[in-house]
Amino acid sequence: MTASNSPQVTTEDDAVVVERVFDAPPELVWRAWTEPEHFARWYGPTGFTLPVCEIDLRVGGRHVWGMRSPDGQEMFSTGVFSEIVPLERLVTTDAMADADGKPLDMGGGHPMETTVTVTLEDLGGGRTKLTVRQARWPDPGMAAGAGGGWSQAFEKLAEALPEIAA
Amino acid sequence: MTTATAPRDQLSATFGALADPTRRAILAQLVDGEASVTELAAPFEMTLPAVSKHLKVLERAQLIERSRHAQWRPCRLAPAPLKEVADWVERYRVLWEDRFDRLEVYLEELQQGRSPRAEQANDDDTEPPAGGARGAAR
Repeated sequence: MTASNSPQVTTEDDAVVVERVFDAPPELVWRAWTEPEHFARWYGPTGFTLPVCEIDLRVGGRHVWGMRSPDGQEMFSTGVFSEIVPLERLVTTDAMADADGKPLDMGGGHPMETTVTVTLEDLGGGRTKLTVRQARWPDPGMAAGAGGGWSQAFEKLAEALPEIAA
Repeated sequence: MTTATAPRDQLSATFGALADPTRRAILAQLVDGEASVTELAAPFEMTLPAVSKHLKVLERAQLIERSRHAQWRPCRLAPAPLKEVADWVERYRVLWEDRFDRLEVYLEELQQGRSPRAEQANDDDTEPPAGGARGAAR
């Protein structure tokens, strides 16, 4: 509704970062992320339900999310919380899983796992800035190694891609 | 997801090769067109063998191709792996935009007390998906 509500999207290193200002206090946004009955209401893609939603909210605790597509197909993902700062910050992993919530081996002996960092910023007046950063590497050290700001070079390359690929 | 193994390996190789400022600079140079090793080495205080080493890494990651025909073997960008990186970022971006849209609507519902089911919705699979609520709220 206002310019500040429009989403900001950037790519940094190997991560996608999406942020948006919500007209809701941090308490509510936090509950929407951490309480299964709320989380299940918005997380799945449009038309999907989330019949399985287990959230063991503690460091080392696991979450299992099971989505059901409109044509009845089920997909599971799981992860482990590594950082929890109530109302401020949530760090977890996200990997495809089987129906028992066991991570799937996607090849090379490793599950295809990403790191998801959720940050809430209280803007006052019942508004919250929510930032989600999803990084390709599960290991922060690897992400740092790939860092050093290659985003600029990458942006230039990405711009050039359509013509190169043509 | 059916071909998850290959993209993962290719993506890892791509990110690995991109994890070096010299190699990124070389790729950026090649955006302007193909170039010889000597041309690519010009901006760096580096020996030709050192530059060649970087080119080998880029070639192994299939980020560049080297012509076999011309004597000077010019290098050029190979777009496919980079497109894969761009696709990966784009896929997640769209996913999160979509989730944020639904979260926005749901938070609005919660605050207006229009979602009495929220407290016991977890065991109810038959309720309309969030998409329906989103349509009504807009």
